[in-house]
Amino acid sequence: MTVTKDKNSVLHLGIDLGTSRSSVSASNGERHVVDSYIGWPVDMVARKLVKKPVMFGQEALENRPMLDLHRPLERGLIKEGSEKDELAVRELIRHMISLTKPHDGQKVLAVVGVPAEALRVSRQHLRNSVKGVADSLMIVSEPFAVAYGMNALLHTMIIDIGAGTTDFCVMKGRYPTDEDQRTLTNAGDSVDDQLATMIRTRVPDAQFSIHMVRGWKEKWSFIGEPSGVVEVTVPVGGKPTNIDITTEMRRACESLLPPITETTLDLISRVEPEYQETVRHNIILAGGGSQIPRLAQALEAALKDVGGGRVTPVDDYVFVGSNGSLAIALDAPESDWEKLPG
Amino acid sequence: MLREAVADNLATIGGLLPRPRKRASRSSWVGWALLAAVALLLLGTLKPTSAGRGKPQPEEMVGAAIPALPDHDQTETGTPPGLDAPRAIDPALFRLAVRRVVVDPGHGGSDPGAMMRGMREKEITLDIARRVAAVLRADAFEVLMTREGDETLTLQERVQAANSAGGDVFLSIHVNSIPEPLRRGVETYVLGPTSDPHVERLAGAENSGSGYSLSDFRRLLEGVYVDVRHDESRRFAQAMQGRMFAALRRVNPDLEDRSVKQAPFVVLVGTEMPAVLTEVSCISNEEDARLLRQNDYRQKIAEALAAGVRTYAAARGLGATVANRGPGGM
Repeated sequence: MTVTKDKNSVLHLGIDLGTSRSSVSASNGERHVVDSYIGWPVDMVARKLVKKPVMFGQEALENRPMLDLHRPLERGLIKEGSEKDELAVRELIRHMISLTKPHDGQKVLAVVGVPAEALRVSRQHLRNSVKGVADSLMIVSEPFAVAYGMNALLHTMIIDIGAGTTDFCVMKGRYPTDEDQRTLTNAGDSVDDQLATMIRTRVPDAQFSIHMVRGWKEKWSFIGEPSGVVEVTVPVGGKPTNIDITTEMRRACESLLPPITETTLDLISRVEPEYQETVRHNIILAGGGSQIPRLAQALEAALKDVGGGRVTPVDDYVFVGSNGSLAIALDAPESDWEKLPG
Repeated sequence: MLREAVADNLATIGGLLPRPRKRASRSSWVGWALLAAVALLLLGTLKPTSAGRGKPQPEEMVGAAIPALPDHDQTETGTPPGLDAPRAIDPALFRLAVRRVVVDPGHGGSDPGAMMRGMREKEITLDIARRVAAVLRADAFEVLMTREGDETLTLQERVQAANSAGGDVFLSIHVNSIPEPLRRGVETYVLGPTSDPHVERLAGAENSGSGYSLSDFRRLLEGVYVDVRHDESRRFAQAMQGRMFAALRRVNPDLEDRSVKQAPFVVLVGTEMPAVLTEVSCISNEEDARLLRQNDYRQKIAEALAAGVRTYAAARGLGATVANRGPGGM
């Protein structure tokens, strides 16, 4: 009886607040993902057209000419001093909570995973931004949430390749400290920027947006030898033209390899010697970047010089973070939740 | 582990407990009133020269110290009768010496900076900074380092250290990492807005530990665009870049002069003295990386940087070094 009553009166949520996409997993089984865009109509005309006071995700992106569009965690950091971006974080989390359909009067206990750099640099600011969105709320670093959800808490390394940042975290059986974590800005957005620059250099008159480039990357990214031609159609001087971007795609994606490899090796070298091999064989790739074909194999090849290793991409990269946060939410004792305000 | 996560959150909340809003005290009203008066004075003085020319220029800001006359005394063009348009005051008039050099080795501690080919930026910058300090001290400059070892320092802490030390010039040392591995060279940055995507990315990366984002800086810079140090920082940067390129090209003939550029780096925004950020090599380039491993090459970089400081101090007539300054120096 007590359990049933608790189930109905409390909704546990795990939220992965990402630079590009955010996902939520709820104890009532609801799971949702939205692009991390929030937009407000720029004026009365726009408001009349979009018929909504605020738009989220893909819908916001599609209507961006009429919106004041925000991506609040660009480069993995919340923009301090920008009220609109603070509001955007709050609205996004509110929206995600609403997607899980909590009952009236149901207590919402949420764990929000954020990019490690955002937590390191702006933890108080972040906390302030999310104030009041839930009855009780805990913020954790995203790699920790991933590790917790996968029960990979000891002698494991998580490499979370997101849009704004790539976060590294070595799990040593304790809550990770700053020393156990690293953040690089070589991530999905930097691949997009490079790809766009390279295409623009080769075909100066090609017209495309960074959103189009992001779409191409998500569809055709790869590392190593190409398995086919990557061709896109863009207007060149107003005329739809096919462009072969195979070489550019490969170079942009492979630009992630040197910094990720170096950081991985550096973090492993800091692990106590007797556990280094175990960590090398327990590397988990998470985040959207983990889906780049042959990235894991390329990292494994780089580990051969130091005795070899195993790199495993997560199966469900969209929800692995929010599922981990949900696991934390469910495991945290009630007494701890009582101490944490929303 | 969860307990630690909770404790971490509680600590954060502890630092954020909302404080009751205080009514503004009389003294704070006086402070605001004074600030407002100063702002009005500045606006009044800037108006005649900046009208129709977009953003006010640094020299206008220097000249802003001249009090504005009441409106009815102004001519149609806005220039008060009997007064010349404000002009920049040449710092050389003050005979200011360059005595204290703040040397800032980039990154450190948990922030390794760029890492490639088994090298870490934080170690290279510290080594070069120590060498620069040794050369400058031998020239009788007073040198302060923002970090002496492998320490984690926020950008604000570096800025505060430089300001509280009363440094005459600020030199931040970094090593570049460029996505195009064939590119190599040296470049020097002064404070300013930029629209160059490469520089934006670089500034975004270097500023990542500051708590701010690039867009905040751009807004900040555009709002308070006038930087009275700008001309001096640029001269300092040109001296550094010129010396670095000339010295290193002898041993590295393919070196690219990537020139003096503007960027909104936090350490350049917050420091109160002429300040530059140097990218002394490209670790992403194989040949530069090979050279960076060599002590001789690092020493050459250090000597070139020290020569840049000397050149700036001497060529501007701001007083020479302590050892060389003549009777007219301070």
